Amino acid sequence: MAFCSPHTTASLRSPCTTIPNSGFRQNQVILFTTRSSRRSNTRHGARTFQVSCAVEQPIVIGLAADSGCGKSTFMRRLTSVFGGAAEPPKGGNPDSNTLISDTTTVICLDDYHSLDRTGRKEKGVTALDPKANDFDLMYEQVKAIKEGKAIEKPIYNHVTGLLDPAELIQPPKIFVIEGLHPMYDERVRELLDFSIYLDISNEVKFAWKIQRDMAERGHSLESIKASIEARKPDFDAFIDPQKQYADAVIEVLPTQLIPDDNEGKVLRVKLIMKEGIKFFNPVYLFDEGSTINWIPCGRKLTCSYPGIKFSYGPDTYFGQEVSVLEMDGQFDRLDELIYVESHLSNLSTKFYGEVTQQMLKHADFPGSNNGTGLFQTIVGLKIRDLYEQIIAERAGVPAEAAKV
Amino acid sequence: VAGSPSTPPELAQKVTESIKQAEETCAGDPEGGECVAAWDEVEELSAAASHARDRKKEHSDPLEEFCEDNPETDECRTYDS
Repeated sequence: MAFCSPHTTASLRSPCTTIPNSGFRQNQVILFTTRSSRRSNTRHGARTFQVSCAVEQPIVIGLAADSGCGKSTFMRRLTSVFGGAAEPPKGGNPDSNTLISDTTTVICLDDYHSLDRTGRKEKGVTALDPKANDFDLMYEQVKAIKEGKAIEKPIYNHVTGLLDPAELIQPPKIFVIEGLHPMYDERVRELLDFSIYLDISNEVKFAWKIQRDMAERGHSLESIKASIEARKPDFDAFIDPQKQYADAVIEVLPTQLIPDDNEGKVLRVKLIMKEGIKFFNPVYLFDEGSTINWIPCGRKLTCSYPGIKFSYGPDTYFGQEVSVLEMDGQFDRLDELIYVESHLSNLSTKFYGEVTQQMLKHADFPGSNNGTGLFQTIVGLKIRDLYEQIIAERAGVPAEAAKV
Repeated sequence: VAGSPSTPPELAQKVTESIKQAEETCAGDPEGGECVAAWDEVEELSAAASHARDRKKEHSDPLEEFCEDNPETDECRTYDS
């Protein structure tokens, strides 16, 4: 932490702020080596410094999900929590998969395909197969970004299926890697400050893909089914196991409020939050650690069919302690959401009603009337909180050390 | 009506072709890697088509679109104070 290498210190937009008590000019390169040397300096009454190398070392977040499962909606909700809209890099490749906002840069891990579309067909592998992906390059580049260095990242063109010339990515404050394999490679996993897995049940996935593709010429119920079936063995083997490593899992299931519902319009959504993660305090309903079922509809709140049901409680997930918050049903009106928000705790909001406000801001996004939108927004706020705590800690460590 | 009107025609055609090809490939060998890879291509192109439609939807307001190019006109000028 306390090491600022000479080249970053000398650069114009230095990530390190140096506050000398006396004597040093602002541009001077200062090298700290060990805490003991600093202490001895102080003892001899020489000089004390505060050095913080915070801003330009991004925090890295991984988001895993299958294609067509709402990653882009999640990304738009997340960037909105930090303020500002996310846009593709200006003036670059029009088919770039990257999204950049003031604080956040989102890259798509498809850009690390080692085999293009023709290559995969020749070898008979899917994009889900690790053999079709270059994890060495992924690791090197994510590591470089985390160290505050710019990278030349390839672009996988989803329209042509070819690997296009690379684009330059500058280190942002928050770097998000989204795609099929953010937690597959152990080295990449170690670099993540927070990880999320979007777990869409087969029934819902099928319903969503029908909504997405039925209008497209050539697609039929059979072709959609065949495509899901064909990809399933690779999905189960390589993608699904990553969820055990996620700090938060958003599970989307068919509703239990309507018997035999297959439409995928009313959803039961679970937010599974790992316990004991530094800087991440799970959300709870009424009383932390208890098991609670709650139907907010009643005298104070009118809900239309099929109503809303919340559940909360401790559980184990892949042998780990988790807290699970579940919402079944959908909102009709805003009163319901603010009523629900007022009964949830540890939301990491900055003011009362922030969750509701964020949801209202994007009322047109898919999932805004059910648990997917609510829990994605909550995870967004949690990531903001995590980011602020990490930055505070980085800034705090040298100051604390100086006190010793 | 030729499919979904808002998918770019070139991409829509690619989706159609990929489905046809996948069905043919899998007719011979329904379990093989080639069949699976072919359906994976269908998924990739369908996702790309859906993203392209979403992107078009963002520019669906004719006034907004006009004002992006002509911010000085009467119907587009906005003052913060």
